[in-house]
Amino acid sequence: MPLTPDQKKELEAKLQEFVGKPIGPPKAGRDAVNEPMIRAWCDAMGDANAAYLDPEAAKASLHEGIVAQPTMLQAWTMDGFEMHKGYDEPVNGVQRIHKLLTEHGYTSVVATNTEQGYTRYLVPGDEVTEETVIESVSEEKATALGIGYFIDTRTRYTDQNGDELGWMTFRVLKFIPAQQTAAADSGETAAAAAPARIKAPMGHDNAPWWNEVEQGKIPIQTCNQCGKLFHPPRPMCGECGAMDMGYIAASGKGTVHTFTVMHHPQFPGYDFPILAVLIDLEEGTRLMSNLLGCKPEDVHIGMAVQGSVEEGDDGMKLPVFRPVA
Amino acid sequence: MAKPIAKLRYDDISEGDEAPVLHHELTRTDLVVYAGASGDMNPMHTDEVAAKAAGLPSVFGHGMLSMGILGRALTDWAGVGNLKAFRTRFTKQTWPGETLTTRIVVTGKGQVEEGKRVSVDLTLSNQDGEVKLDGSAIVAAA
Repeated sequence: MPLTPDQKKELEAKLQEFVGKPIGPPKAGRDAVNEPMIRAWCDAMGDANAAYLDPEAAKASLHEGIVAQPTMLQAWTMDGFEMHKGYDEPVNGVQRIHKLLTEHGYTSVVATNTEQGYTRYLVPGDEVTEETVIESVSEEKATALGIGYFIDTRTRYTDQNGDELGWMTFRVLKFIPAQQTAAADSGETAAAAAPARIKAPMGHDNAPWWNEVEQGKIPIQTCNQCGKLFHPPRPMCGECGAMDMGYIAASGKGTVHTFTVMHHPQFPGYDFPILAVLIDLEEGTRLMSNLLGCKPEDVHIGMAVQGSVEEGDDGMKLPVFRPVA
Repeated sequence: MAKPIAKLRYDDISEGDEAPVLHHELTRTDLVVYAGASGDMNPMHTDEVAAKAAGLPSVFGHGMLSMGILGRALTDWAGVGNLKAFRTRFTKQTWPGETLTTRIVVTGKGQVEEGKRVSVDLTLSNQDGEVKLDGSAIVAAA
C-alpha cells in the first residue's frame, strides 16, 4: 500500500527528528585491535602484505611492528553477531530509522557511498571507540533500485587516550524494491528489472475519482446540490458552495482540445512517443489523457475521439482515448 | 610467504601512472571469513537461503570487502602507513564466482603542510568490465 500524503509527511517529520543527533552514547569495540582479526580480514581479500601479517618483517616498517589494514577501521566497533538482533529490537538511532522505514514499506537497504580518513594506523592493543552522528536524511528519491531515502552518517574513531584514529562517512539507501520478485525469477538484480508506470498519488480529493476508474468508468465529479460538473475533483462546489460531491460516468465521446507529442525525457515504464491530449468531453469538462491507436502526425485539434478504461500490464486502470474511425 | 613492504617515491610518480593490477576471485568462503573478521553479520552476505528468500539470486559481497580489496592494491603500492583518505561509491553488487580486478590511476601530486601527497582515481571491475566500485584516494609519498 502506498502511503497517503499525510502518512508520508508524518514519516518524514519523524525521520528529520534524528538528524544532527548522535545515534547513541560512544561505543567501544568488543576487542582491542588484535592480530587474529587482522589475519582473518586479510585472508578474506587475499592481502598478503607483511605489514599486517609478519611481525618480523613488520619490525622494519614505519611502525616497527604489525598494523591493521587501514580500511579495516570500521570493523573494530562493529556489533558482529549481536547485529542481527538490531533489525527487530533497535538499540541505536540508525537501527531505529531502519525499523521505522521498514514498517512503512521501505524494506530493502543498500550501502551507496563511504569515505574514510586515516589519522593514524591502528596497532595491536589499541582500544577503539566510535561516535556516530546522523548527518542527514534525504527527501524521498526515485532510484534505479526503487523509491527510498538516503541516510548519511559520520563516525569519528578515537583511541584509549581519546586521540583521533580516523573518521568515516557512510550513506545507505533504504528503499522499496522496484521489482524484487521478478528479479529473483530472472536471476537479475533488482536494478535491472523493468519498472512499471508511476502510480497515481491518492489524496482525499482525487481518490474517489480513481475508485470510479477502477469500476471501468470515466468519472466526472458533480455537485449533488446544483449539478455542476468539475474536473479535477475538489472538496467543495465552486458554484453553490455545497460540500456534497458525487460522480457521474462520462459517455467517453469527446474532441481533442489540444495536444502535445512527448519524446523526451523517456521515463521507464512508458511507451514513447506519448500523445498527451486534453479532451473536451461532450458533458462539458476537460480531461488530460493519452491518445492511443493514432500516429503522432495524424492527431489534430478538433479530432473526434472515444474514451474507454483500459488495464495495463501492471494491472493499473486508466481512461484512454482513441480516434473515432 | 608474506610479501615485502613497499614504498612510493614522489619523484618517480607522474599523472597517468597506474598501480600494479590485482585480481581476486570472490568465493562464498571469502564472504564468511570477511563477515567474521569485519563484524558485519548481515545474513544477505552469508546465508544463501535467507538471501534467496529476500529475492536475490545468491549471497553477495560486502561493499566494504570490495573497498578492502582496493585498499589491498592501494597499500601494496603506496606502502604501509601511507594511505590518508579513501572515498568510494558502491555502484554494483559483487557475486561469488566473479573475478574482481583493481585499477588505480594517478590523477595528481602535490605538497601539503604534512608532506608529499599523491591523488588517485580507482575502480574495481568484474571479468566483464562491469564497475563494482569507483572512488578516489590520497596517499603519502616519500
